[in-house]
Amino acid sequence: MAAEMALVKPIAKFNTINTSISSRRLPFTVRMSATTSPPTSKPTKKAQKQGIKETLLTPRFYTTDFDEMETLFNTEINKNLNEAEFEALLQEFKTDYNQTHFVRNKEFKEAADKIQGPLRNIFVEFLERSCTAEFSGFLLYKELGRRLKKTNPVVAEIFSLMSRDEARHAGFLNKGLSDFNLALDLGFLTKARKYTFFKPKFIFYATYLSEKIGYWRYITIYRHLKSNPEFICYPIFKYFENWCQDENRHGDFFSALMKAQPQFLNDWKAKLWARFFCLSVYVTMYLNDCQRTDFYEGIGLNTKEFDMHVIIETNRTTARIFPAVLDVENPEFKRKLDRMVEINTKLIAVSESDDIPVVKNFKKIPLIGALASELLAAYLMEPIESGSVDFAEFEPQLTY
Amino acid sequence: MSSSTSLNLGSFCTSLVNFPTHCPHKSSSFLLHGAQFSPPSPNNNNNNSSTVFKHCSWKLTRPTKRAVAAVDSSDPAEKQETERKKYYFLVANAKFMLDEEEHFQEQMFERRRLYGERNKEPDFWLVIEPKFLDKFPNITKRLKRPAVALVSTNGPWITFMKLRLDRVLQESYEADSLEEALASTPVNLEFEKPETWTAPYPKYEYGWWESFLPPGSQTSKV
Repeated sequence: MAAEMALVKPIAKFNTINTSISSRRLPFTVRMSATTSPPTSKPTKKAQKQGIKETLLTPRFYTTDFDEMETLFNTEINKNLNEAEFEALLQEFKTDYNQTHFVRNKEFKEAADKIQGPLRNIFVEFLERSCTAEFSGFLLYKELGRRLKKTNPVVAEIFSLMSRDEARHAGFLNKGLSDFNLALDLGFLTKARKYTFFKPKFIFYATYLSEKIGYWRYITIYRHLKSNPEFICYPIFKYFENWCQDENRHGDFFSALMKAQPQFLNDWKAKLWARFFCLSVYVTMYLNDCQRTDFYEGIGLNTKEFDMHVIIETNRTTARIFPAVLDVENPEFKRKLDRMVEINTKLIAVSESDDIPVVKNFKKIPLIGALASELLAAYLMEPIESGSVDFAEFEPQLTY
Repeated sequence: MSSSTSLNLGSFCTSLVNFPTHCPHKSSSFLLHGAQFSPPSPNNNNNNSSTVFKHCSWKLTRPTKRAVAAVDSSDPAEKQETERKKYYFLVANAKFMLDEEEHFQEQMFERRRLYGERNKEPDFWLVIEPKFLDKFPNITKRLKRPAVALVSTNGPWITFMKLRLDRVLQESYEADSLEEALASTPVNLEFEKPETWTAPYPKYEYGWWESFLPPGSQTSKV
């Protein structure tokens, strides 16, 4: 309840803020995203550099144009709303598969006590970022559930049920932090964090992708650890299989929301935006994970192999709804990502050097230029036409 | 560059290592439930139904009246509920449903777990080469065979699953009994190993779907 009370003010306050693109769930830096403005329109403001380092590194909090959302899902205005699909989703969320799943045991504390040295910090960071990401989902969905109650009770209830899931996940992660004798002050976060404003259409693309990529990350870690149990150094991973089904369902809901707004899916602009969001989400994940190889190696994964698998699977999933996706299975795509990692490493080295700020900025210019050109080249790679078969013009010829 | 090469080798090895777990099943890739679930003889009795349930690892141990009626084909007229029921289904080729679409497996087991926890009777099944498809020429002409259907009496859930799986066809039909509804033709399923396997984990084992096939379906009629 306290969270809900605190929620309203910051959102109203930050309604006009317009910052750069990043995904909600992914705990990634947005340093690079200042340079990823799409070629189509709308210049993105530079990410607020003066923000504390933590702000740049931790997941963002999102807000949107709630009035526009209300209009979009007003059943009297929008006749495209597929009621059957939303009713089906509502039933699925009400089913509440994970009602009794998130129960801790004493293994947690014992395992945490055994994690020492550098891995301990890495784990804490992982828990913090994941908790913040889940919590940001809670805030956004909770508010949407509240705001849409009048115009579309079904959609509103689904948002509320999704915020239930996110709160559960965030709470579970926060309890995990207590195993390390820490806790995130979520009430403080609610008030103190900056909110990134996205128009509804971009909220759909971004949250769809972050839910689906979240699913693929969690399930990949889970299945990897299932076949390599010697790397389970903390019991939270055992919960991932059921947990990530929630993420997958959340993604499905955004899929249905986009289907209900075909104007966000069916023109050339939509294709450009779809590719842009895919690229920014994949690249931010890749760059960030490559800075945290210790974590992935700590649980027995090869960071780049893990990321490429997640990207490929997410892209295949996304192709069921986005009108265009990137050709991530083309080896050239990975080569580009790897070059971006190299440039980003140099950028970080400059930032962390002892130079005075002016010199630092001067040194950064060519690197940012190089990163931008890699991004643009990746963006312009021949895309793959895609979309739901419900929309496909060629549908009758499809074989199943 | 060298790192990416070793990555690919790594995943290649994973699939090699994994291969043997697929193979043994393949050799016994049984005439589906024909062999496993429904003995050819007509006296398909309650014993059978309980083995079926055990095999399916449903947590529900006491089949209620309707389940018994559905499984027991010895005297349909006496035991079966006469009302016609509506069944909703999604169908696609077997390769898509059982082999490529890996998270589908997770959803099936998740739902089974939930039904077990809440003592709910199963109302969803996988049917390989279902006979009811004959009623849908518009579907069959677009369908690669062998086909697999996900069938449920819960319509909204099927609608949800259509949203998830997307590349499937959705329809519904009515039937007098469960065994009529879920009748199928026995068929051999074989899936080729995926060309590229990028995952750092093995594929779900061949045959994971067996426990979702309808209990005692009447393949013996063929």
